Amino acid sequence: MNETSHIGLLPNGLADTLNPDAAWESDSIEGLMAAFAAFGYDRIKPPLVEFEESLLDGPGQAIGSDMFRLMDPVTQRMMGVRPDITPQIARIAVTRLANAPRPLRLSYGGQVLKVRASQMRNERQFTQIGVELIGAPELAADAEVVTLAWRSLSDLGVKGISIDLNLPTLVPTVCAGLGMTEADAEQARLALDRKDAAAVAEFGAGIGEGIGDLLGQMLSAAGPADKALAKLQALDLPDQAKAEVQNLAQAVDLIQAAAPGLSLTVDATEFRGLEYQSGICFTIYSRGVRGELGRGGRYVLSSRETATGFSLFGDSLMRALPAAKKPQKVFLPYGTTVSEADAVRAQGHATLQGFVNETDANAEARRLDCSHIFINGQVRETN
Amino acid sequence: MPDTPINTEDDKLVIAVPKGRILKELRPLMTRAGLEPEADFDDPASRKLQFATNVPGVSIIRVRSFDVATFVAFGAAQIGVAGNDVLMEFDYPEVYAPLDLEISDCHIAVAEPAELSSTDDPSRWSHVRVATKYPNITRRYFAARGVQAECIHLNGAMELAPGLGLCRRIVDLVSSGDTLRANGLVEIERVVEVTSRLAVNRAALKTRSEEITGWIDRFREAVNAA
Repeated sequence: MNETSHIGLLPNGLADTLNPDAAWESDSIEGLMAAFAAFGYDRIKPPLVEFEESLLDGPGQAIGSDMFRLMDPVTQRMMGVRPDITPQIARIAVTRLANAPRPLRLSYGGQVLKVRASQMRNERQFTQIGVELIGAPELAADAEVVTLAWRSLSDLGVKGISIDLNLPTLVPTVCAGLGMTEADAEQARLALDRKDAAAVAEFGAGIGEGIGDLLGQMLSAAGPADKALAKLQALDLPDQAKAEVQNLAQAVDLIQAAAPGLSLTVDATEFRGLEYQSGICFTIYSRGVRGELGRGGRYVLSSRETATGFSLFGDSLMRALPAAKKPQKVFLPYGTTVSEADAVRAQGHATLQGFVNETDANAEARRLDCSHIFINGQVRETN
Repeated sequence: MPDTPINTEDDKLVIAVPKGRILKELRPLMTRAGLEPEADFDDPASRKLQFATNVPGVSIIRVRSFDVATFVAFGAAQIGVAGNDVLMEFDYPEVYAPLDLEISDCHIAVAEPAELSSTDDPSRWSHVRVATKYPNITRRYFAARGVQAECIHLNGAMELAPGLGLCRRIVDLVSSGDTLRANGLVEIERVVEVTSRLAVNRAALKTRSEEITGWIDRFREAVNAA
């Protein structure tokens, strides 16, 4: 403890990322951005803060309670600090890039800030990295973004990736098909969402013959994609719901063909956090890492255009990657010339220049955490 | 980074069970589900907290019932057994309750002294002060009918509170009602029915789907056979 200790305290959910983690995080993020670019996604960069109502437009409807707000002293209008970048990309797609050819493939990476952290992820500020694919209603587009999420993460070295496919429109479709009231449908969703089999059965019994059974079967139709789909397809669902399940099955076929080796699960009753999604959605997990790595899915822009995409969360991503390695540095003792130093760096080494004439250059190199030292015109390991 | 990946014991499966009342009724279910802990588990004198089982890679931890939900929510245990009172109180989005074990039947109730209840009209309340170990359930329950609940959070012996003037009403778990009667209290409202549930961690269910679903099915068969 010293006099400056107290200024080290940061507000909840905010943290300093130090060395070597900060470099490792930005390297990893650049790796992902490069993978997105290879699939034709162009990077764009919206601002950190914008007018509140534009952040809350279209897919931003759900983020109001997450947003820090501040008053613009100049215009006296309310501004919001972005808690999510997706609504910004959606805004750009329908305004400045409204005339760009569709399908439009965009990528982004930046910091977001939330009023509250989630239970599993304590961070209020974190990096959000992702892509949006706008104006492509085809199932092949859903398959492309899922496949891209998997490819980019596994190429980066994330192990045990597992993607859970969800169909948040299915339960409302089934409820409507069965003639349930809005209030009952809401109840059904809540019980299904918690996977609370007892609540589902109790609720179903109060609504009508066979409904509890059907909802219960939908609940148990979750797990490895093939098995879960077979169960869903065997259910006696209303026609429109059957068509949605059929779409999901086709998407699964496309994904499995493009992403062999991906552990794919299906859970058609998942709904939390997916209220504004309009089609196939997914959540990305890595085995053994708490919380989720990211999520994505289909939604509708304020121009009524359809879009899909995904976001990855930098904090979870770093928990899923191997620990950062310390960079290797070469100590250049006092008196090393500029041309010698340039030659060492030209070999690909990072260098660290001594400023005073060392009595023991080797000890000084070790003190400064250098793995190597430049002695007699050569780079050697410190001893 | 604030913490390191929990990747090390990747293939271990941890099942969290509560101490006490629920455990007595759970124990035969475990046997029927083919899960046999080492002998120490049934020895009340043992100080162990984690127990090996007959299934390789599967261990059982014994913790307080409220902590079961927390261990499962944070993925420290992949599976747990907890009453829906505990699950509702925390309302962790990371915990699923896919199976009702149909044991430890009881309910949460609002209770007050017998002499108060003869004159009390709950429909006139705008504010109520209660002692409870379920502040969240209590607040939600009263808020839903437009009443603001001020909760005094106790961890046990709620029944003492009205008699000693801490507050006039309590919200607590009731099974036989004996404790209420012994302390001169009567139940005035039933908040929710409670049974024990098999709880699973959301990420574990997704990433270890076959394995976790397998255990849910084994317990389901055990419940149906009961």
